[in-house]
Amino acid sequence: MLTHIRQTSIGTGYDLSNSVFSPDGRNFQVEYAVKAVENGGTAIGIRCKDGVVLALEKLVTSKLLKKDANKRIATVDRNVGVVYSGLLPDGRHFVSRARDEASSWRSSYKAPIPGSSLANRMGAYVQAYTLYNSVRPFGITGIIGGWDAETELAVDGSVGSGPKVGAGGKKQGVKEGGPFLYMIEPSGLYWGYYGAATGKGRQTAKAELEKLKLDPKNGECISLEEGVKEAARIIYLAHEDSKDKEFELEMTWVSAVGGPTKGRHEEVPKALREEAERLAKKALEGEDEEEEKMEE
Amino acid sequence: MFRNNYDNDSVTFSPQGRIFQVEYAQEAVKQGSVVVGIVSKSHAILAALKRNAEELSSYQRKIIPVDTHYGVALAGLASDARVLSNFMKQQSLASRLTYDRPILLSEITSRIGDRAQTNTQHYGRRPYGVGLLIAGVDARGPHLFEFQPSGVTLECVAGAIGARSQMARTYLERNLDAFEDCSRDELIKHALRALKDSLSQDKELTVDNTSVGIGGLEENFKLYEGQEIASWLETTFENKAEGEAGGGEGMEVDS
Amino acid sequence: MNHLPQAWGRPRDDVYGAYNPHYLPHSHGGHQAGHPNQHTQSPIVTGTSVLAVKYNSGVVIAADNLASYGSLARFTDVHRLKVFNKKAVVGFGGDVSDMQYLDRLLLSLHVEENYAGSGDVDDKESDVALMSAKNLHTYLSKVMYKRRSEFNPLWNALLVAGLTESNEPFLASADLLGTTFSAPTLATGFGAHLAQPILRRVVPDEEASKALTREKAVEAVKECMKVLFYRDARSMNEYSIAIVDKESGVDLKLDEKLEGQSWAFADRIRGYGTQTA
Repeated sequence: MLTHIRQTSIGTGYDLSNSVFSPDGRNFQVEYAVKAVENGGTAIGIRCKDGVVLALEKLVTSKLLKKDANKRIATVDRNVGVVYSGLLPDGRHFVSRARDEASSWRSSYKAPIPGSSLANRMGAYVQAYTLYNSVRPFGITGIIGGWDAETELAVDGSVGSGPKVGAGGKKQGVKEGGPFLYMIEPSGLYWGYYGAATGKGRQTAKAELEKLKLDPKNGECISLEEGVKEAARIIYLAHEDSKDKEFELEMTWVSAVGGPTKGRHEEVPKALREEAERLAKKALEGEDEEEEKMEE
Repeated sequence: MFRNNYDNDSVTFSPQGRIFQVEYAQEAVKQGSVVVGIVSKSHAILAALKRNAEELSSYQRKIIPVDTHYGVALAGLASDARVLSNFMKQQSLASRLTYDRPILLSEITSRIGDRAQTNTQHYGRRPYGVGLLIAGVDARGPHLFEFQPSGVTLECVAGAIGARSQMARTYLERNLDAFEDCSRDELIKHALRALKDSLSQDKELTVDNTSVGIGGLEENFKLYEGQEIASWLETTFENKAEGEAGGGEGMEVDS
Repeated sequence: MNHLPQAWGRPRDDVYGAYNPHYLPHSHGGHQAGHPNQHTQSPIVTGTSVLAVKYNSGVVIAADNLASYGSLARFTDVHRLKVFNKKAVVGFGGDVSDMQYLDRLLLSLHVEENYAGSGDVDDKESDVALMSAKNLHTYLSKVMYKRRSEFNPLWNALLVAGLTESNEPFLASADLLGTTFSAPTLATGFGAHLAQPILRRVVPDEEASKALTREKAVEAVKECMKVLFYRDARSMNEYSIAIVDKESGVDLKLDEKLEGQSWAFADRIRGYGTQTA
């Protein structure tokens, strides 16, 4: 892949400025931005039946860093989280914009921003950074995950409830909302996902995600707690390629309003995370043993 | 010869996804004199080596107290640090004025991080050419943060930036486990020793070229310089002083 | 003669002279040169008193559930106590739409407070850096003062009840003029005249509030809510009451009813209604 890019981009002059097409219709600066993502720690998101898990392989670059401090999965609105891989300051810019979008949506509509709208707006924002030679594209791929509330939201707090039924009343028993997961690339392109992965170990992670039962249309879909354990296992597995480096596992989750996080985006509780890590390590050992057996 | 075309501005990625202008800005940090920071359970400490342009000139300022609860130490372009520290002062005052609470160190650090990031994504600007160590105490206890020109910010137990700072980091890594339970005096000693390790052979720490900044659970952040640090230097490097001070003692008797 | 549609049904300029819009608001062609811009001159839908008392380990705050349109009891399920977090509750008197604006402001502030990681704590609400009632009161009083300085006040009287950073009981008020005040007992609106004297009898000073139990504080507040219902024609007998306690956090009840009313005193009142003597 790299040699391919070398042959067609370097030295042509078409890769020196953002917003410029090469004769074969490519924007090389965007492709180079993708390179910045590909070296970052693996980040994944899993959309489960009753919530979403975000997980991150946080490579420890120095012994002097404070343990479990430098948190990188950010809360955007109460019910939305963002994890990213690539240039960390660009990721923070992305998060800051997402927060502004969520907050301005609230001030316009008195309601939290739906996941699809947030992804759409962030896609448009990131895309705008591929349009002008006065800026550079984002050097990150961002994963947005959250839960659109399935319950009715109070307008202006709890001031008056309005008619319960009838004209101006509510349709009873109607439920909307649910888990959402989107991944936005440096080009501004985004898709909705059942399982998303980016960063260095994305190939391994994607292969693992594809094995999970995540499509609700196929009948069964894993639960949030299973999702947490799978996420930990996948991050540990994806780390195998850069085994010489230490890392910390950072995980957050969002459940339904009736679930463990009450519809909020929160850090996975320490006890649950450690249990997931224990299982992940065990699963890895099991795999090693199998490999050894095969070799024998 | 292959000329690097990708390093002219901060809005161009190299084919490897690097931004050379930002990396060059990091080099400017390495040109600055070394600063060290450490935190314990109760204190956050900064120590810095000051340079003077010539024998008769004054020494540069390396540690800037920002609010009563924290301060920063800089390595790199001092004027960039002044811009950033003024911004930090404004933000810190705003927090006290609007909420009557000292700003969290994590918050102020991420605000300058975000500001620095903007300079790396827009044409016509340059990245800040300065690295900072931000140390002090907030509602969540003592903290130390490192800020880099790229906009990267990291919370550390200990850290060192600037010229030859790798030596200081080696010292810090070796003594890492001891810091948490250190007393104020022990922490100062560690900071000074780490600082000393980054000095070139012909140089010494003196009351003129050393600054120390201390914040604690029970004390406001304060900058110590000149004679205020004399006793710390003496007790930290006493072994060495004994070896060399034979003549010195004699003079003391005379006076 | 002007036959254009905008002139239809209007007095003819050639007969009555040009229409004088000076009394209309700025947006409708009013505001003659030399006259000032005007913002809100009076509240519209209003809530009445808010009461609060500090006791040894927390604060009790209460307000009834009525929103009046002038003297009409227009909305009877309006909750005027807003829980910010487990350290702070705000009670609103005055204009209800301004209360709703402030409530949205508080919501966005709460979302922002939630951004920053809570360090090593799993539960963000148990974070040591959680915004305290004192921080919130400072913020709200700045908002109120800024608006009055723009001659566009938020027509409210607020009580902020809760805990300080060091978990001491905290109670303070802010109003549409940007004035702030703090005391062991506070009441806004009519309550400042009717309830405050009663509350001060129970809690004359800080010392007394440090000795006051939660039960006694709740009792005093409930008694005052009753007195206010007797005498304040803009009040009702359903109310909200919240207790912020340093041990047990916030306990909010939204639909309480006044108990043990006795209207015997009304018999002695002369000068109103149908009596003749």
